[in-house]
This record gives sequence, structure tokens and C-alpha cells, in this order.
Amino acid sequence: MKKTLGCLSALFALSLGSSAFAHHSGAMFDNQKNVTLQGTVVEFQYTNPHSWLQIMVAGSDGKQVQWGFEAEGPSTLLRAGIKAKSFMPGDKVTVVGHPMKDGRPAGGLVSVTKADGTVLSPRPQVPTPGA
Amino acid sequence: MAAAIAAAILPGAAWAQTSIRENGSKLYFSKTVPTYKTSWEHYLALKAKAHGGTKKTFAALPNWGGLWERDRRLEGWAYAFDTDERANGPLSAPLNAEYKAKYDKKMADLAKGIEWDNLSFCLPAGFPRWLTEPRPREFILRPEETWLSTEQQSEFRRVYTDGRPHVPDDEAYPLWEGDSVGFWNGATLVVHTNNLKEGQYQRQQPDYTDQVTTVEEIRRTGPNRIEDRITVYDPGSLTKPWTSVQSYHRVTDPPTLRVNMWSCNENNNVVKDASGASTFILPGEAGYKEPSTLGKPPQQ
Repeated sequence: MKKTLGCLSALFALSLGSSAFAHHSGAMFDNQKNVTLQGTVVEFQYTNPHSWLQIMVAGSDGKQVQWGFEAEGPSTLLRAGIKAKSFMPGDKVTVVGHPMKDGRPAGGLVSVTKADGTVLSPRPQVPTPGA
Repeated sequence: MAAAIAAAILPGAAWAQTSIRENGSKLYFSKTVPTYKTSWEHYLALKAKAHGGTKKTFAALPNWGGLWERDRRLEGWAYAFDTDERANGPLSAPLNAEYKAKYDKKMADLAKGIEWDNLSFCLPAGFPRWLTEPRPREFILRPEETWLSTEQQSEFRRVYTDGRPHVPDDEAYPLWEGDSVGFWNGATLVVHTNNLKEGQYQRQQPDYTDQVTTVEEIRRTGPNRIEDRITVYDPGSLTKPWTSVQSYHRVTDPPTLRVNMWSCNENNNVVKDASGASTFILPGEAGYKEPSTLGKPPQQ
């Protein structure tokens, strides 16, 4: 398993983190840390209230572990260019997320890098029209 | 939590210079309004000032078409009810001692990682919290009635502008969106709402009681903005009426975006743990609800 942890330093990331979980508290995630995992897509649940990207990750002991990463619902993801078929079962991906504080294999989705190098983030900064 | 973390990292002076609007523009409505003993007196005063209101035909209704989304503050907690409120700054709501203590406990619990939101039970946000939610909105206008909708939980507010009164007291009971009547003052929709459930303005925001009533003035103030000036009356939690301006910008990208039916139950594995904190049931754990199996016909 490739796994790295790093500190977020920008206000940008904090404000996005706070906006991500409108249907439940975000306190279960450690928004000051990132986990980066390489894995294979098991399922992309493009659903409300939140979408989940489920991936299978090989541990250093060879054991497969399923990780789930939560993102926004379809109307928000579509605006970020993430569609229902953006991640198909079997796709190889590298996922960055804020891990659960309790250590279980899940987190809040920050970005996904696909095999072709495409990077998708559920919360890009989108300029809004003026008044 | 984010507000607390951010406040710990960045000094207060930095917050004070940060724009609270996503596009930084000034608002049409100010927060300075005359207030009254009750929201109904407030509403009747606005109606008298409008000489009873403007009778609308379809052709005379303003155009509130398209999709809209609430302007967030860009710092700290994005969904403060009064977006002038600053992280680590004074609370905007004039709370009484009881509700200030409840708010302080809520924030103290949050600092310990304990936070629960009834939305996680798949319950509606309810009004006035409804104003702060982040999903796309649509506003449907008819001369006799206006529907104000948000995608989240497919929550609709219905505002009757045909002159009918509120439901009689002996039929009234607390409702998620309350009972709303209104009138048009030119291009401004004036709304009075009562019969509401108790709730919270947002997570990391104060609570309100089921005595809460409101007066709103809603207007399209530009090609890409709708504003809602709301004065909240809640003698159970507030020491005086509380006015704020909610603003919504037009959503145009992608042009294919639609508001769809929104079911919270199709993928909700959020549960409250023994401490009262929010957590998930994950795949493979007891009680996990696999979304791909929900909604299918029952097996014979």
C-alpha cells in the first residue's frame, strides 16, 4: 500500500472542507491530514446525499483492503466535471483524501488521479457570476 | 470545527479583510430595518406601506427563472446564517442566556469531535435553516402562489399570495417549512411565516424554538442575484428581532444542470455513536446499507 500523510496549510482547503459535508458533521475526518492511496475502483456510488468512491487497495502484506472516499452528491460533482461514469470498476486510480480520525479505511475525497493523468476534484473553485 | 481550526491558524485581522460574498459585490438590501413587537405587526406594516400590495398577473410577475445557489462566506464555516458573521468573531444572533449556553455547549462538544446533525437522520433542514443549504434552487412564480425549492431533500416552501390568511390556530401545528402567506410590493415578494418546528440555523450555529416566526422581503436584485432580507422573531431564543440578508447567485455552468429528485435514503450510512458524534457504517460492517441493493423490488 502506498500511503502518505501530509499537512494541509491553506485556508482554501479548510474552507472547502467545511463546505463538503452539508448533510452530516465533518468532524469524523481529519481535515489537517491527507492520505494518498493507489487502488482499483470497486464501485462509484453516484448518489445523494453523498457519493462514495470505493477502491480496493493492496497492503504491504498483500492483503486487499477496501477504502471508501466520500464526496458530494451528483449535482455538485457534475459541476466539478465528475460524472456517473467517470470512475468505472477496474479503473486504476490514485486517491487523495482526508482520513477518518478513528483509523478505519475511509475518508473525505480530495482528488482522484486517473491512469491517463486526469485529475478530478469534487470541489474546484468555480468563479461565480457578478450581480 | 473548520472555523475553530482556521481561527487557530490565521489571525483575526486576516479574517476581517476577507470578502464574505463569493463575488464580493454589495447587496441591495441593508440589514437596518424597523422592528416590531411581533413579526405579524412587522408584516402588516410592510403591507400598509405597500398600500395593500401589488395585484399580479402572469405577465407582471418578475423573472426568477434559472438555477440559484446560496452565496457562502469564503472563510470558516461556509453556512453561517448571517454571512457577515466572522470566524472567531462575535455571534450575530442576539441570543438569550439559555440559548447562548446551548450554543456554547454545542461548540464545546464540537471541539471534542462530537457533532450531530438531524439531516443525518434524513430529516429535512426545515425553515429558516432552509435558506442556508448549499444545493441548487428553483423559484416558481404564479400570481396566487410562489414555490421556493431547493434540491436538498426536494424541500419546497409554498407562499400563498392570493390573500388567504394563515391556517386557523386550532388547525395549526409545527411544520418543517411552516405556513407562509405573502404579497407583492412591486418586484419584491413579502412573506410572513409561522407554525415552524424548532431547529438550528445550521451546524455550528445557534438553535431556534418552535416560537420562531419570520418576515422576508425577496427580490431579484440583478441579473445574477436574488436577495432575501429576513427578520427572525423568536422570543424563546432571541432577546430582540434578528435581521440578515441571504443572497443567491445564478448557476449557469454546466448549462445541462438540472434540479433532480433528491433522496437522502439512497445512500445514507451515517450513524450517531455512543458519544453522540457522527460516524459511518462502512462496507462489510454490520448494518451497512449497500446503495445498489436499495430501491429494488422485494425478493419473493
